Amino acid sequence: MAYQGTPSYSGAPASQYSDWIHRVGAYLIETIPVFIIYLIAFVTGKFIVISLFGLIALAYIIWNRWILGGQGQSLGKKALNMKLISEETGQPIGTLNAFVRDICHIVDSIICYIGYLFPLWDAKRQTIADKIMRTVVVPV
Amino acid sequence: MYSVPERITLFSAGSAAVGAVYPAIMAHTGGHGIPCPLRTLTGVPCPFCGLTTATVALTHGEWATAARTSPLACLVAILAVGTAPVLLARTTGLASAPRQASSTARKRITWGAYVIVALSWLFQLHRYGFI
Repeated sequence: MAYQGTPSYSGAPASQYSDWIHRVGAYLIETIPVFIIYLIAFVTGKFIVISLFGLIALAYIIWNRWILGGQGQSLGKKALNMKLISEETGQPIGTLNAFVRDICHIVDSIICYIGYLFPLWDAKRQTIADKIMRTVVVPV
Repeated sequence: MYSVPERITLFSAGSAAVGAVYPAIMAHTGGHGIPCPLRTLTGVPCPFCGLTTATVALTHGEWATAARTSPLACLVAILAVGTAPVLLARTTGLASAPRQASSTARKRITWGAYVIVALSWLFQLHRYGFI
């Protein structure tokens, strides 16, 4: 049931949701730092350096995708003026749900990553993980 | 604002650009392409297996290879080519914004897509020797 007094995003026109290319852009903005961290680590070739950088990358993911993402705006989404919210309440989903949503992305990936293309044709521009978690990404 | 076929066409254009240079990238990096997680874990192909290979084949004019690998990719390519004039007209301002499809039309298209995906899965299962 939609939270009373807060507009629900269910049933809004597709144009009210962030489109695929912006979501990809946000993901790339967030992923590039991780990629650079790993590239630096692998260039050194030393196991301890790779492990240390792996921990740094993990800490970054926890902070960016689950803490900031759970508050509505990871770095990429903030850069492109989007936010991740609950479809039902219109509010950010919190850290735990953001983590579970990332686990649900396994479903997007398992079918040759086609789940990530769903926003191209879905009425609410949702991935499969979004459908499971009942989240939407909307412009700010 | 673009319709769903137009967005798929835009994505297909990007895929074609990547497909055109994909063999060069793989040759340089020693990569073997994008593995399907389902097939990697279970050995069973998903309905979308072969899309990368078929896309590369289509961008290099290898129509028979593309059709043998993924008829679904060929279908999307035909849709993309057919929709391109509409997309071009919309981008240049010669066409107005697309009309929202009715609920009935969306349901029919959705069911049609499910049938196509199911057929693609049967094809891939046959291609990998499961049926």
